[in-house]
Amino acid sequence: MSVLREMFENLLSRPITILYPKEKVPIPGAFRGRVAITDEKCIGCSKCSLVCPARAITMIDGPREVEFNGKTLNRKKRPQVKLYKCIRCGLCERHCPTGAIFLKNELSSSGTDGEIVVT
Amino acid sequence: MPEVVVSIGPHHPALKEPVNFKVVIEGEKIVRLELDLSYNHRGVEKAAEQRDFIRVLPLLERVCGICSHAHSTAFAKGIEEIMQLEVPPRAQYIRTIIAELERMHSHLLWLGVAAHVIGFNTLFMWTWRDREAVQDTVEEMSGNRVHYGMNEVGGVRRDLTPAQVTAALERLPNLEERIKKYVDMVNSEETMLIRFRGVGKLSKEEALRYGTVGPTARASGVDYDTRKDDPYLAYADVPWNVVTDTNGDVYGRTRVRIGELWESLKIVRYCLENLPEGPIRVTAPRNAPTGEILSRYEAPRGELAHFIRTNGTDKVERVDIRTPTLANWTSVAICLVNQNLADLPVIVAAIDPCLSCTSRITLLDSQTKKTGVMSFDELIRRNRSRDQGLVRP
Repeated sequence: MSVLREMFENLLSRPITILYPKEKVPIPGAFRGRVAITDEKCIGCSKCSLVCPARAITMIDGPREVEFNGKTLNRKKRPQVKLYKCIRCGLCERHCPTGAIFLKNELSSSGTDGEIVVT
Repeated sequence: MPEVVVSIGPHHPALKEPVNFKVVIEGEKIVRLELDLSYNHRGVEKAAEQRDFIRVLPLLERVCGICSHAHSTAFAKGIEEIMQLEVPPRAQYIRTIIAELERMHSHLLWLGVAAHVIGFNTLFMWTWRDREAVQDTVEEMSGNRVHYGMNEVGGVRRDLTPAQVTAALERLPNLEERIKKYVDMVNSEETMLIRFRGVGKLSKEEALRYGTVGPTARASGVDYDTRKDDPYLAYADVPWNVVTDTNGDVYGRTRVRIGELWESLKIVRYCLENLPEGPIRVTAPRNAPTGEILSRYEAPRGELAHFIRTNGTDKVERVDIRTPTLANWTSVAICLVNQNLADLPVIVAAIDPCLSCTSRITLLDSQTKKTGVMSFDELIRRNRSRDQGLVRP
Protein backbone atom coordinates (compact mmCIF):
# COMPACT_ATOMS: atom_id res chain seq x y z
CA MET A 1 0.00 0.00 0.00
CA SER A 2 2.91 2.32 0.67
CA VAL A 3 3.76 2.15 -3.04
CA LEU A 4 0.23 3.18 -4.07
CA ARG A 5 0.27 6.12 -1.66
CA GLU A 6 3.66 7.19 -2.98
CA MET A 7 2.36 6.99 -6.56
CA PHE A 8 -0.56 9.30 -5.82
CA GLU A 9 1.71 11.74 -4.00
CA ASN A 10 3.95 11.83 -7.04
CA LEU A 11 1.01 12.38 -9.37
CA LEU A 12 0.20 15.57 -7.52
CA SER A 13 3.76 16.88 -7.37
CA ARG A 14 5.77 18.67 -10.04
CA PRO A 15 8.49 16.86 -12.05
CA ILE A 16 11.90 17.04 -10.40
CA THR A 17 13.90 16.89 -13.63
CA ILE A 18 15.79 20.04 -14.60
CA LEU A 19 15.33 20.72 -18.33
CA TYR A 20 19.03 21.38 -18.79
CA PRO A 21 19.63 23.66 -21.75
CA LYS A 22 16.57 25.79 -20.91
CA GLU A 23 17.05 25.81 -17.14
CA LYS A 24 20.50 26.25 -15.72
CA VAL A 25 21.90 23.69 -13.28
CA PRO A 26 23.21 25.42 -10.14
CA ILE A 27 27.01 25.14 -10.01
CA PRO A 28 28.38 24.88 -6.46
CA GLY A 29 31.14 27.20 -5.29
CA ALA A 30 33.65 24.39 -4.88
CA PHE A 31 33.12 23.18 -8.45
CA ARG A 32 36.29 22.27 -10.32
CA GLY A 33 35.91 23.41 -13.92
CA ARG A 34 38.14 24.61 -16.73
CA VAL A 35 41.73 25.38 -15.77
CA ALA A 36 42.92 28.99 -16.07
CA ILE A 37 46.23 30.80 -15.52
CA THR A 38 46.81 34.41 -14.45
CA ASP A 39 50.12 35.10 -16.16
CA GLU A 40 51.08 38.20 -14.15
CA LYS A 41 50.92 36.25 -10.87
CA CYS A 42 52.97 33.22 -11.97
CA ILE A 43 56.54 33.09 -10.61
CA GLY A 44 57.49 30.05 -12.70
CA CYS A 45 58.22 27.72 -9.76
CA SER A 46 57.11 24.54 -11.68
CA LYS A 47 55.24 23.14 -8.65
CA CYS A 48 52.04 22.69 -10.68
CA SER A 49 53.77 20.60 -13.31
CA LEU A 50 55.37 18.42 -10.60
CA VAL A 51 52.12 17.61 -8.78
CA CYS A 52 49.93 17.13 -11.88
CA PRO A 53 48.80 13.46 -11.83
CA ALA A 54 47.97 13.46 -15.54
CA ARG A 55 51.25 15.16 -16.53
CA ALA A 56 49.16 17.72 -18.40
CA ILE A 57 51.28 20.73 -17.42
CA THR A 58 54.58 21.50 -19.12
CA MET A 59 56.79 24.48 -18.40
CA ILE A 60 57.57 26.59 -21.47
CA ASP A 61 59.72 29.69 -21.91
CA GLY A 62 58.04 32.81 -20.64
CA PRO A 63 60.48 35.37 -19.25
CA ARG A 64 58.78 38.13 -17.27
CA GLU A 65 59.28 40.30 -14.20
CA VAL A 66 56.83 39.31 -11.45
CA GLU A 67 56.04 40.97 -8.11
CA PHE A 68 56.03 38.44 -5.26
CA ASN A 69 56.07 39.26 -1.53
CA GLY A 70 57.21 42.80 -2.27
CA LYS A 71 60.17 41.62 -4.34
CA THR A 72 60.59 41.65 -8.09
CA LEU A 73 61.50 38.25 -9.53
CA ASN A 74 62.80 37.45 -12.97
CA ARG A 75 60.90 34.35 -13.93
CA LYS A 76 62.06 32.20 -16.83
CA LYS A 77 59.26 29.65 -17.32
CA ARG A 78 55.50 29.63 -17.37
CA PRO A 79 53.06 26.68 -17.37
CA GLN A 80 51.11 25.41 -20.34
CA VAL A 81 48.20 23.04 -19.71
CA LYS A 82 46.93 20.52 -22.24
CA LEU A 83 43.21 21.11 -21.80
CA TYR A 84 41.91 17.65 -22.70
CA LYS A 85 44.59 15.86 -20.70
CA CYS A 86 43.57 17.74 -17.54
CA ILE A 87 41.50 15.63 -15.12
CA ARG A 88 40.47 18.69 -13.06
CA CYS A 89 41.66 17.30 -9.75
CA GLY A 90 42.68 20.77 -8.57
CA LEU A 91 46.09 19.74 -7.21
CA CYS A 92 47.84 22.55 -9.16
CA GLU A 93 45.53 25.09 -7.54
CA ARG A 94 46.16 23.54 -4.12
CA HIS A 95 49.97 23.69 -4.44
CA CYS A 96 50.35 27.02 -6.31
CA PRO A 97 52.08 29.49 -3.94
CA THR A 98 50.60 32.58 -5.61
CA GLY A 99 47.18 31.42 -6.80
CA ALA A 100 48.18 31.96 -10.43
CA ILE A 101 46.78 28.65 -11.68
CA PHE A 102 43.21 27.85 -10.71
CA LEU A 103 40.05 26.06 -11.81
CA LYS A 104 37.20 28.25 -12.93
CA ASN A 105 33.54 27.73 -12.11
CA GLU A 106 32.59 27.14 -15.72
CA LEU A 107 32.14 23.77 -17.41
CA SER A 108 35.07 22.37 -19.30
CA SER A 109 34.52 20.55 -22.56
CA SER A 110 36.14 17.21 -23.36
CA GLY A 111 37.74 15.94 -26.51
CA THR A 112 40.69 14.17 -28.05
CA ASP A 113 42.58 17.07 -29.61
CA GLY A 114 45.91 17.10 -27.78
CA GLU A 115 46.98 20.44 -29.29
CA ILE A 116 44.50 22.61 -27.42
CA VAL A 117 46.39 24.29 -24.60
CA VAL A 118 45.72 26.87 -21.92
CA THR A 119 48.54 29.26 -21.15
CA MET B 1 26.85 -35.15 -14.77
CA PRO B 2 28.43 -34.29 -18.13
CA GLU B 3 30.30 -31.03 -18.05
CA VAL B 4 31.33 -28.80 -20.90
CA VAL B 5 33.55 -25.79 -20.37
CA VAL B 6 33.25 -22.96 -22.85
CA SER B 7 35.35 -19.85 -22.52
CA ILE B 8 33.33 -16.87 -23.64
CA GLY B 9 33.07 -13.47 -22.09
CA PRO B 10 33.32 -9.74 -22.54
CA HIS B 11 36.93 -9.40 -23.64
CA HIS B 12 36.94 -5.68 -24.16
CA PRO B 13 38.52 -3.83 -21.23
CA ALA B 14 36.36 -0.79 -21.91
CA LEU B 15 33.46 -2.65 -20.34
CA LYS B 16 33.24 -1.94 -16.62
CA GLU B 17 34.88 -4.69 -14.55
CA PRO B 18 34.48 -7.46 -17.07
CA VAL B 19 34.02 -10.73 -15.20
CA ASN B 20 33.56 -13.92 -17.11
CA PHE B 21 30.62 -16.10 -16.11
CA LYS B 22 30.03 -19.70 -17.05
CA VAL B 23 26.73 -20.96 -15.76
CA VAL B 24 26.09 -24.69 -15.85
CA ILE B 25 22.35 -25.27 -15.88
CA GLU B 26 20.01 -28.24 -15.88
CA GLY B 27 16.68 -27.07 -17.25
CA GLU B 28 16.00 -23.89 -15.31
CA LYS B 29 18.09 -24.84 -12.27
CA ILE B 30 21.66 -23.66 -11.87
CA VAL B 31 24.11 -26.50 -11.22
CA ARG B 32 27.30 -24.53 -10.94
CA LEU B 33 28.82 -21.15 -11.64
CA GLU B 34 32.36 -20.76 -12.90
CA LEU B 35 34.07 -17.44 -12.51
CA ASP B 36 37.24 -16.16 -14.10
CA LEU B 37 38.36 -13.48 -11.71
CA SER B 38 41.61 -12.23 -13.21
CA TYR B 39 39.86 -10.84 -16.21
CA ASN B 40 40.55 -7.16 -16.54
CA HIS B 41 44.02 -6.13 -15.46
CA ARG B 42 44.31 -2.37 -15.40
CA GLY B 43 47.71 -2.16 -13.78
CA VAL B 44 46.61 0.38 -11.17
CA GLU B 45 48.87 -1.11 -8.49
CA LYS B 46 51.95 -0.90 -10.71
CA ALA B 47 51.05 2.63 -11.82
CA ALA B 48 50.71 3.62 -8.14
CA GLU B 49 54.31 2.56 -7.52
CA GLN B 50 55.52 5.17 -9.99
CA ARG B 51 53.75 8.18 -8.48
CA ASP B 52 54.59 10.14 -5.34
CA PHE B 53 52.12 10.48 -2.47
CA ILE B 54 50.56 13.66 -3.88
CA ARG B 55 50.04 12.29 -7.39
CA VAL B 56 48.96 8.79 -6.38
CA LEU B 57 45.70 9.77 -4.64
CA PRO B 58 43.83 10.92 -7.78
CA LEU B 59 44.87 7.63 -9.40
CA LEU B 60 43.63 5.49 -6.50
CA GLU B 61 40.34 7.41 -6.45
CA ARG B 62 39.80 6.11 -9.94
CA VAL B 63 39.99 2.44 -8.93
CA CYS B 64 36.24 2.68 -8.39
CA GLY B 65 33.79 5.42 -9.25
CA ILE B 66 31.31 4.75 -6.47
CA CYS B 67 33.73 4.17 -3.59
CA SER B 68 36.38 6.66 -4.71
CA HIS B 69 36.61 8.21 -1.25
CA ALA B 70 37.04 4.73 0.25
CA HIS B 71 40.18 4.02 -1.76
CA SER B 72 41.85 7.38 -1.22
CA THR B 73 41.04 7.35 2.52
CA ALA B 74 42.31 3.80 2.97
CA PHE B 75 45.58 4.73 1.28
CA ALA B 76 46.04 8.11 3.01
CA LYS B 77 45.20 6.51 6.38
CA GLY B 78 47.87 3.85 5.86
CA ILE B 79 50.56 6.31 4.79
CA GLU B 80 49.72 8.61 7.71
CA GLU B 81 50.14 5.69 10.08
CA ILE B 82 53.55 4.85 8.60
CA MET B 83 54.57 8.52 8.82
CA GLN B 84 53.11 8.66 12.37
CA LEU B 85 51.13 11.79 11.54
CA GLU B 86 48.44 13.01 13.89
CA VAL B 87 45.54 13.99 11.63
CA PRO B 88 43.48 16.86 13.13
CA PRO B 89 40.01 15.88 14.42
CA ARG B 90 38.24 18.27 12.05
CA ALA B 91 39.81 16.48 9.09
CA GLN B 92 38.75 13.11 10.53
CA TYR B 93 35.16 14.35 10.89
CA ILE B 94 35.08 15.76 7.35
CA ARG B 95 36.40 12.45 6.01
CA THR B 96 33.71 10.60 7.98
CA ILE B 97 30.95 12.85 6.61
CA ILE B 98 32.04 12.27 3.01
CA ALA B 99 32.49 8.53 3.65
CA GLU B 100 28.97 8.14 5.05
CA LEU B 101 27.41 10.28 2.30
CA GLU B 102 29.19 8.00 -0.15
CA ARG B 103 27.74 4.95 1.59
CA MET B 104 24.25 6.48 1.41
CA HIS B 105 24.50 7.21 -2.29
CA SER B 106 25.94 3.77 -2.96
CA HIS B 107 23.16 1.97 -1.05
CA LEU B 108 20.44 4.08 -2.67
CA LEU B 109 21.97 3.29 -6.04
CA TRP B 110 22.05 -0.41 -5.14
CA LEU B 111 18.41 -0.41 -4.05
CA GLY B 112 17.50 1.13 -7.39
CA VAL B 113 19.54 -1.43 -9.32
CA ALA B 114 18.07 -4.34 -7.33
CA ALA B 115 14.58 -3.02 -8.04
CA HIS B 116 15.50 -2.61 -11.70
CA VAL B 117 16.64 -6.20 -12.15
CA ILE B 118 13.40 -7.55 -10.71
CA GLY B 119 11.49 -5.27 -13.04
CA PHE B 120 10.27 -2.84 -10.36
CA ASN B 121 11.41 0.25 -12.22
CA THR B 122 9.16 2.59 -10.26
CA LEU B 123 11.27 2.08 -7.15
CA PHE B 124 14.40 2.48 -9.27
CA MET B 125 13.27 5.95 -10.33
CA TRP B 126 12.34 6.95 -6.77
CA THR B 127 15.61 5.87 -5.17
CA TRP B 128 17.71 7.50 -7.86
CA ARG B 129 15.72 10.69 -7.45
CA ASP B 130 16.40 10.70 -3.71
CA ARG B 131 20.02 9.87 -4.32
CA GLU B 132 20.33 13.27 -6.01
CA ALA B 133 19.90 14.96 -2.62
CA VAL B 134 22.97 13.08 -1.35
CA GLN B 135 24.89 13.78 -4.56
CA ASP B 136 24.07 17.50 -4.35
CA THR B 137 25.39 17.62 -0.77
CA VAL B 138 28.63 15.91 -1.79
CA GLU B 139 28.97 18.18 -4.80
CA GLU B 140 28.53 21.27 -2.66
CA MET B 141 31.18 20.08 -0.21
CA SER B 142 33.77 18.70 -2.59
CA GLY B 143 32.98 20.22 -5.97
CA ASN B 144 32.28 16.95 -7.72
CA ARG B 145 29.64 14.21 -7.79
CA VAL B 146 32.24 11.46 -8.02
CA HIS B 147 36.02 11.59 -7.45
CA TYR B 148 35.65 14.08 -4.64
CA GLY B 149 39.36 14.81 -4.28
CA MET B 150 38.92 15.57 -0.58
CA ASN B 151 41.88 13.60 0.73
CA GLU B 152 45.54 14.28 0.90
CA VAL B 153 48.17 12.70 3.08
CA GLY B 154 47.88 14.62 6.36
CA GLY B 155 44.25 15.70 6.21
CA VAL B 156 41.63 17.00 3.82
CA ARG B 157 41.99 19.54 1.04
CA ARG B 158 38.83 21.56 1.55
CA ASP B 159 37.17 22.86 4.69
CA LEU B 160 33.42 22.87 5.27
CA THR B 161 31.95 26.35 5.55
CA PRO B 162 29.07 26.99 8.01
CA ALA B 163 26.80 27.57 4.98
CA GLN B 164 27.64 24.12 3.59
CA VAL B 165 26.97 22.51 6.98
CA THR B 166 23.59 24.24 7.26
CA ALA B 167 22.62 23.31 3.70
CA ALA B 168 23.54 19.66 4.35
CA LEU B 169 21.62 19.56 7.64
CA GLU B 170 18.55 21.03 5.91
CA ARG B 171 18.51 18.17 3.40
CA LEU B 172 18.62 15.44 6.04
CA PRO B 173 14.99 15.53 7.40
CA ASN B 174 13.60 14.97 3.90
CA LEU B 175 16.02 12.07 3.29
CA GLU B 176 15.09 10.60 6.68
CA GLU B 177 11.44 10.59 5.69
CA ARG B 178 12.28 8.91 2.38
CA ILE B 179 14.36 6.19 4.06
CA LYS B 180 11.44 5.49 6.43
CA LYS B 181 9.27 4.93 3.36
CA TYR B 182 11.80 2.49 1.92
CA VAL B 183 11.87 0.53 5.18
CA ASP B 184 8.06 0.26 4.91
CA MET B 185 8.21 -0.74 1.26
CA VAL B 186 10.79 -3.47 1.71
CA ASN B 187 8.88 -5.01 4.60
CA SER B 188 5.42 -4.84 3.06
CA GLU B 189 5.66 -4.62 -0.73
CA GLU B 190 4.59 -7.96 -2.17
CA THR B 191 6.62 -7.58 -5.41
CA MET B 192 9.84 -7.34 -3.46
CA LEU B 193 8.98 -9.98 -0.87
CA ILE B 194 8.24 -12.55 -3.55
CA ARG B 195 11.43 -11.91 -5.46
CA PHE B 196 13.77 -11.41 -2.49
CA ARG B 197 12.68 -13.89 0.18
CA GLY B 198 14.47 -17.22 0.21
CA VAL B 199 16.53 -16.30 -2.86
CA GLY B 200 20.30 -16.78 -2.72
CA LYS B 201 20.48 -18.12 0.81
CA LEU B 202 23.84 -18.07 2.54
CA SER B 203 24.14 -19.51 6.04
CA LYS B 204 26.32 -17.94 8.71
CA GLU B 205 28.81 -20.84 8.49
CA GLU B 206 29.07 -20.48 4.70
CA ALA B 207 29.44 -16.70 4.97
CA LEU B 208 32.37 -17.21 7.34
CA ARG B 209 33.92 -20.07 5.37
CA TYR B 210 33.93 -18.18 2.08
CA GLY B 211 35.18 -14.96 3.63
CA THR B 212 32.30 -12.68 2.73
CA VAL B 213 32.45 -9.09 3.90
CA GLY B 214 30.17 -6.12 4.27
CA PRO B 215 26.38 -6.25 3.94
CA THR B 216 26.58 -9.77 2.44
CA ALA B 217 28.18 -11.12 5.61
CA ARG B 218 26.05 -9.03 7.96
CA ALA B 219 22.85 -10.25 6.27
CA SER B 220 23.90 -13.80 7.23
CA GLY B 221 24.24 -12.81 10.87
CA VAL B 222 28.01 -12.22 10.95
CA ASP B 223 28.50 -9.24 13.25
CA TYR B 224 31.55 -7.83 11.49
CA ASP B 225 32.06 -4.20 10.59
CA THR B 226 35.52 -2.61 10.39
CA ARG B 227 34.09 0.67 11.60
CA LYS B 228 33.18 -0.98 14.91
CA ASP B 229 35.83 -3.70 15.22
CA ASP B 230 38.83 -1.57 14.25
CA PRO B 231 37.59 2.03 14.53
CA TYR B 232 39.24 4.61 12.30
CA LEU B 233 38.40 8.23 11.35
CA ALA B 234 35.77 9.54 13.78
CA TYR B 235 33.74 6.32 14.17
CA ALA B 236 34.89 5.74 17.75
CA ASP B 237 33.33 9.07 18.87
CA VAL B 238 30.03 8.68 17.04
CA PRO B 239 27.13 6.68 18.53
CA TRP B 240 25.91 4.17 15.95
CA ASN B 241 25.01 0.48 15.66
CA VAL B 242 26.09 -2.34 13.37
CA VAL B 243 23.10 -3.55 11.32
CA THR B 244 22.81 -7.32 11.04
CA ASP B 245 20.08 -9.65 9.85
CA THR B 246 19.45 -13.35 10.19
CA ASN B 247 17.65 -14.01 6.91
CA GLY B 248 20.80 -14.60 4.88
CA ASP B 249 19.01 -14.14 1.55
CA VAL B 250 18.59 -11.21 -0.82
CA TYR B 251 15.79 -9.93 1.43
CA GLY B 252 18.23 -9.89 4.37
CA ARG B 253 20.83 -8.01 2.33
CA THR B 254 18.23 -5.42 1.35
CA ARG B 255 17.23 -4.99 5.00
CA VAL B 256 20.87 -4.58 6.06
CA ARG B 257 21.51 -1.94 3.40
CA ILE B 258 18.39 0.02 4.29
CA GLY B 259 19.33 -0.20 7.96
CA GLU B 260 22.77 1.12 7.08
CA LEU B 261 21.22 4.04 5.21
CA TRP B 262 19.53 4.93 8.46
CA GLU B 263 22.73 4.56 10.50
CA SER B 264 24.75 6.56 7.96
CA LEU B 265 22.24 9.37 8.16
CA LYS B 266 22.63 9.38 11.95
CA ILE B 267 26.44 9.48 11.65
CA VAL B 268 26.35 12.33 9.11
CA ARG B 269 24.00 14.33 11.30
CA TYR B 270 26.11 13.77 14.42
CA CYS B 271 29.34 14.72 12.61
CA LEU B 272 27.83 17.85 11.06
CA GLU B 273 26.41 18.99 14.39
CA ASN B 274 29.58 18.23 16.35
CA LEU B 275 32.18 19.31 13.81
CA PRO B 276 35.26 20.24 15.90
CA GLU B 277 37.11 23.49 15.25
CA GLY B 278 40.74 23.59 14.25
CA PRO B 279 43.05 22.97 11.31
CA ILE B 280 42.05 20.60 8.51
CA ARG B 281 45.49 19.19 7.74
CA VAL B 282 49.05 18.83 8.90
CA THR B 283 52.00 19.17 6.57
CA ALA B 284 53.17 15.72 5.58
CA PRO B 285 56.87 15.01 4.98
CA ARG B 286 57.87 14.23 1.43
CA ASN B 287 59.24 10.76 2.20
CA ALA B 288 57.73 7.97 4.25
CA PRO B 289 59.97 5.78 6.44
CA THR B 290 60.40 2.11 5.61
CA GLY B 291 57.42 0.13 6.79
CA GLU B 292 54.50 -2.15 6.01
CA ILE B 293 50.87 -1.60 6.85
CA LEU B 294 47.49 -3.14 6.19
CA SER B 295 45.00 -0.31 6.08
CA ARG B 296 41.42 -1.50 6.51
CA TYR B 297 38.33 0.51 5.60
CA GLU B 298 34.64 -0.32 5.52
CA ALA B 299 33.64 0.63 1.98
CA PRO B 300 29.91 0.60 1.03
CA ARG B 301 30.29 -2.94 -0.34
CA GLY B 302 32.35 -4.33 2.52
CA GLU B 303 35.80 -4.36 3.96
CA LEU B 304 38.43 -2.81 1.71
CA ALA B 305 42.10 -3.52 2.44
CA HIS B 306 45.14 -1.66 1.16
CA PHE B 307 48.45 -3.35 1.88
CA ILE B 308 51.17 -0.73 1.61
CA ARG B 309 54.95 -1.23 1.76
CA THR B 310 57.20 1.84 1.76
CA ASN B 311 60.96 2.00 1.35
CA GLY B 312 61.95 5.44 2.62
CA THR B 313 61.26 7.27 -0.64
CA ASP B 314 58.35 9.44 -1.74
CA LYS B 315 56.72 6.50 -3.53
CA VAL B 316 55.30 3.20 -2.34
CA GLU B 317 57.28 0.07 -3.04
CA ARG B 318 54.11 -2.02 -3.24
CA VAL B 319 50.42 -1.37 -2.86
CA ASP B 320 48.00 -4.25 -2.95
CA ILE B 321 44.29 -3.54 -3.10
CA ARG B 322 41.75 -6.16 -1.99
CA THR B 323 38.33 -4.89 -2.97
CA PRO B 324 35.15 -6.11 -1.24
CA THR B 325 33.61 -7.37 -4.49
CA LEU B 326 36.52 -9.79 -4.89
CA ALA B 327 35.92 -11.17 -1.40
CA ASN B 328 32.22 -11.64 -2.10
CA TRP B 329 32.44 -13.29 -5.53
CA THR B 330 32.96 -16.81 -4.21
CA SER B 331 29.82 -16.57 -2.09
CA VAL B 332 27.82 -15.86 -5.26
CA ALA B 333 28.90 -19.22 -6.68
CA ILE B 334 27.61 -20.87 -3.48
CA CYS B 335 24.34 -18.88 -3.39
CA LEU B 336 23.48 -19.74 -6.98
CA VAL B 337 23.48 -23.54 -6.65
CA ASN B 338 19.95 -24.97 -7.10
CA GLN B 339 18.46 -21.54 -7.74
CA ASN B 340 16.37 -20.61 -10.74
CA LEU B 341 18.22 -19.08 -13.65
CA ALA B 342 15.75 -16.21 -13.52
CA ASP B 343 16.96 -15.32 -10.02
CA LEU B 344 20.58 -15.03 -11.12
CA PRO B 345 20.57 -11.25 -11.77
CA VAL B 346 19.15 -10.40 -8.37
CA ILE B 347 21.55 -12.77 -6.55
CA VAL B 348 24.52 -11.31 -8.38
CA ALA B 349 23.18 -7.80 -7.79
CA ALA B 350 22.77 -8.56 -4.08
CA ILE B 351 26.53 -8.40 -3.49
CA ASP B 352 26.54 -5.03 -5.28
CA PRO B 353 29.09 -5.63 -8.04
CA CYS B 354 29.27 -3.54 -11.16
CA LEU B 355 26.51 -5.17 -13.13
CA SER B 356 28.06 -4.52 -16.49
CA CYS B 357 30.32 -7.43 -15.52
CA THR B 358 27.50 -9.72 -16.47
CA SER B 359 27.04 -8.18 -19.87
CA ARG B 360 27.41 -11.61 -21.47
CA ILE B 361 26.91 -15.03 -19.95
CA THR B 362 27.64 -18.47 -21.32
CA LEU B 363 24.79 -20.87 -20.83
CA LEU B 364 25.22 -24.60 -20.77
CA ASP B 365 22.29 -26.95 -20.68
CA SER B 366 23.77 -30.10 -19.19
CA GLN B 367 21.04 -32.36 -20.65
CA THR B 368 20.96 -31.16 -24.23
CA LYS B 369 24.64 -30.04 -24.10
CA LYS B 370 23.58 -26.87 -25.87
CA THR B 371 25.67 -23.79 -25.26
CA GLY B 372 25.04 -20.21 -26.13
CA VAL B 373 25.59 -16.64 -25.14
CA MET B 374 22.84 -14.63 -23.52
CA SER B 375 23.01 -10.86 -23.41
CA PHE B 376 22.27 -9.17 -20.13
CA ASP B 377 19.13 -7.54 -21.56
CA GLU B 378 17.82 -10.92 -22.59
CA LEU B 379 18.50 -12.29 -19.11
CA ILE B 380 16.65 -9.36 -17.54
CA ARG B 381 13.70 -9.99 -19.89
CA ARG B 382 13.64 -13.64 -18.89
CA ASN B 383 13.83 -12.60 -15.27
CA ARG B 384 10.91 -10.21 -15.58
CA SER B 385 8.68 -12.68 -17.37
CA ARG B 386 8.61 -14.54 -14.04
CA ASP B 387 6.86 -11.59 -12.45
CA GLN B 388 3.74 -12.02 -14.56
CA GLY B 389 2.70 -15.12 -12.67
CA LEU B 390 3.68 -13.66 -9.29
CA VAL B 391 3.87 -17.11 -7.75
CA ARG B 392 5.59 -17.51 -4.43
CA PRO B 393 8.61 -19.75 -4.95
